[in-house]
Amino acid sequence: MAQDTTVPKLNFEYWLDKAVEWGQATTLESQKDVCLHLPQLQEFLHQLYETLKDVQGSVAAIQRFPLIGQLLGRLCWNPFVIGYDESQKALMCCLCCLYSSEPQNPVEVKANSWIRSLLYHLLSSSEWESNEAETNLFISTLGYTSADYYGHLVKNMIFSLVTELRENPFNGLNIQRSVSASRVNAVSICCVPLITLPDLTPLLETLLLCHGGSPKEILCPEFLEAVNETFLKKKISLPDSAVCSLWLRHSPSLEKATLHLLDQLVSIQLNSLEEVACVIKDSLLPQAASHPAIFRVVNEIFKNALLETDGASEVMTIIQVFTQLFLEARQNQNEQHKFPLKAYFPCHHQPLVRALFRRPSELPTTSWSQHLKNISDMLKALVEDTNVSSLTDLFETWYLVTCFGEWLDIAAEQLLKAAVQPDALLWLLAFYYCPQNENQQRTQAMVEVQAVYNHLMMLFSCKDLSLRDLEAAVHRIMGTEQCWNQHLMTHLLTNFLLFSSGGHLVAQECIYHITETTDTSKEVYSLLLRTAYRFKHHGEGNQRTVKLLNELLQKFTLKV
Amino acid sequence: MAHKFRVFTMNKPLDNECGKPVPSTQFEAAKQILLQLKSECQCQKYRLSYISLNGDVNQRSCSPTALKSPLGQGSVDMGQGLSTFLRCKYRPRASRIGPRGGAGRRSKRGRQGGAMAAVLGRVAELPALLALCRSALVRHWDAPALDRALEWARYFQHVHDRFRARPQLREALGRRLRRAQPCSPPLGFSALGRCPELLGLALLENRALPPAACRRLLRRLLLPPGAGTGPEPRGLALLARRKAAARLLALPRRPGGTEPRVRAEAQLLLGRLREEEAQEGAGAAGRARGLCGVLERLPPPRAFAVVAAALALLGHGDGDRDGSGPDGNRASAAGDGCVAGLLLSWLLGNRERFSAFCLCLPGSLLASLAGHYSQLSRSYLDLLTGWGSHLHYDPLQGRWVKSCPEKAELPWEELRERFSCLCQGSALLREQTQAALKLLKTRDGDFKVRGLSVWTDLLMEVEE
Repeated sequence: MAQDTTVPKLNFEYWLDKAVEWGQATTLESQKDVCLHLPQLQEFLHQLYETLKDVQGSVAAIQRFPLIGQLLGRLCWNPFVIGYDESQKALMCCLCCLYSSEPQNPVEVKANSWIRSLLYHLLSSSEWESNEAETNLFISTLGYTSADYYGHLVKNMIFSLVTELRENPFNGLNIQRSVSASRVNAVSICCVPLITLPDLTPLLETLLLCHGGSPKEILCPEFLEAVNETFLKKKISLPDSAVCSLWLRHSPSLEKATLHLLDQLVSIQLNSLEEVACVIKDSLLPQAASHPAIFRVVNEIFKNALLETDGASEVMTIIQVFTQLFLEARQNQNEQHKFPLKAYFPCHHQPLVRALFRRPSELPTTSWSQHLKNISDMLKALVEDTNVSSLTDLFETWYLVTCFGEWLDIAAEQLLKAAVQPDALLWLLAFYYCPQNENQQRTQAMVEVQAVYNHLMMLFSCKDLSLRDLEAAVHRIMGTEQCWNQHLMTHLLTNFLLFSSGGHLVAQECIYHITETTDTSKEVYSLLLRTAYRFKHHGEGNQRTVKLLNELLQKFTLKV
Repeated sequence: MAHKFRVFTMNKPLDNECGKPVPSTQFEAAKQILLQLKSECQCQKYRLSYISLNGDVNQRSCSPTALKSPLGQGSVDMGQGLSTFLRCKYRPRASRIGPRGGAGRRSKRGRQGGAMAAVLGRVAELPALLALCRSALVRHWDAPALDRALEWARYFQHVHDRFRARPQLREALGRRLRRAQPCSPPLGFSALGRCPELLGLALLENRALPPAACRRLLRRLLLPPGAGTGPEPRGLALLARRKAAARLLALPRRPGGTEPRVRAEAQLLLGRLREEEAQEGAGAAGRARGLCGVLERLPPPRAFAVVAAALALLGHGDGDRDGSGPDGNRASAAGDGCVAGLLLSWLLGNRERFSAFCLCLPGSLLASLAGHYSQLSRSYLDLLTGWGSHLHYDPLQGRWVKSCPEKAELPWEELRERFSCLCQGSALLREQTQAALKLLKTRDGDFKVRGLSVWTDLLMEVEE
């Protein structure tokens, strides 16, 4: 049954035509075409081997697949095909299957002999074109095999290529000494099938860091794409500088890498932000984003993702963790290599950007409230300035604040713990959840949240709390129609439950009650994760709070 | 217990019991037959080694050493690299080697000694086995015979891995291998580690292997292992991939610097020489010289390039030892010096060879080598002065010409280039060269005008 369905898939004519067209892949066009088709060809060869496994002898195989001899023969003479990944393995396995142990007729005898000469061509230490036995004799006299010889030979070739590329920095005036762009191009296309060969890593690094004199790209795009693909699949590992260079010079690769990261993150079950941070760090994007060009592209993609998912909380969390890691990586940079802040957010109010870039760890906890008040005031001025704000600008400003969500979480915390300037902080939170104010939504939200806040502050130091005490607040949350109000008030309430003296007593029931009746479970879960991550990172939080946090999270992971 | 022996002799067909199984219930009877064979083959040079076909006989009667001694010295000489190889069903059990837990040091050593002797005996079979795999006699093989050959290969690799970290045992094995026949090519301890590839590839390239055995070979080498064991198919896939990579990366190079092929061959040569050098004991020098004979298997220009590359690598202290032992770099500098000395004595030992060497390599390479090796610089300078003294000035053409155009010597332009390369080298070399030229110029009469003494002219060109 399976054989019937696989046979039509084996499109021999197509591949034979391709093989004839490619020849030995000596021209640039044929090389590019081969590189394009290498993965499908490998797939085809695997399928062919699976089909051939049950076939006995070459005559039977030829009867089933008359073109097989021509095809395999031609492919064996194409170094791009043999050099790629696992194609050579599949090809040799197919040849093995065709070999007959008891040749019945001259055809089979001839086929056997032909197979052996192909294998000799692939595995002996004679040159690719000629069958000279010179080197063979020398090596076998020394007691080595062709495996040893080619191991050394490839390493030496790579060494000399690397030396050539490194020693000749491009010097526009000294054309004689510098490496020509066409040579670098030729080298790069020949490397495409060999990317996963471990010997090649030094050459890959050198090529990626090798720039031409002209602004035009000297590496061929197939090479850059292939390196990016292989890197994203974690089949090779490259140093940060090489990956950064790759993304800087080939923006499709950067876009692919960012989208790949997003795919990875939304598909894994988020149990803790450490995992998220780990995955993001491994992708090398935060480190690479120290380059403003890369940062802006990544930012755009994240922004679009947020828009497309209508502000899903998972995406928000991802953006916030990414920004934190980016700031960390930037902090570790050498002072001389740092780009000015303006380069990252050129179109925004720079004092605001500067204020947001300050990390909470850089300031003493006592000055957090003041800092947040500054941010809030600046924002207010920006947003309420009717001359400036259009909808797009508003969105951009809101997005900027969202990236640095760490500060917003701290604002909510500070509101309850150290209420110095509650109005400003409340405004900040209200803006975050409800940026628009055309129909006075935000003003309305402010009023409601103020009431809840006052209520909560009265209960903050109460040691014996019961659910009934919080009933008014809970009622309000459940009663509002607007979801942004719900989210805002839930945020405050959750913080209250975590940080107040008596909150731990009713925390579980309260949160359960709220999330059952409203649509806020994702946001609450997100908030808890972020708070846990923040505590771990900054070493904050007393034991009781941490314990409570962990319990709540456990409950959530069981449910979600 | 029945002992079955089967005897194959390779060099010449015998018209007695050759090829027929010799059923014998007596070990003695079998021995008699073999003695008879030996006496008939007196004029031929044979070595007979035999292992019982029954797997369950005790080791003593299986060991080649044990069986050899009753026949006396009948097993000394080797033919042209072929030996007899008996079919054996004896599977070498790796657990026999190595120490076993037991009471008492002496008994343990006794057991170890016996086991070690057996290992040595088996290891001595490797050159013969390798030669056999390359010979036409494999045409008698069937699939099981091939399996056994590959299992022997695995066994040898296991021995190598087992003893790699024990220098004394390693040397003992290396010595035994060298004494084993056939002695060319001489194999070292490291060859044991490469056995599966050595034998596998040798068999693959052997056209005489019959189809059934060949199919078994292909399946074992290239197909992914199912449930059974076998040499790693990954190794050969990697080989094919690297060979294709060598083709892809073989873009036309610019002149200057060693060609990668030559460098690779030089590294292999150095690996072998270093291994030989690390072995102690007399005769090492002789064998290493024999290795230099290996160089004569390459056509001269290639051989010279390889030697030059090898000397350059040694001069630059290039590492790239292929795991030649855990001794570290303690003795490696001294060892390298000996290896360099070996290569130099091969080069300088023969005057024509050295002259051809200096003719075919470029001046810059020779100058850099001369900078590292003082014997080389001396001989090179002597050679150059010899060539220079054969030039005479042609007043009609206004330049220096060779006295006999056919002779393998350098013309004026190249000689000048050689000298200037030497003067661009290290300070010591420059001084040496200029001093030599000055001396010759003075001897010629210390002329300051061109056209009278070749040395004056050269010195003037070089000092510009």
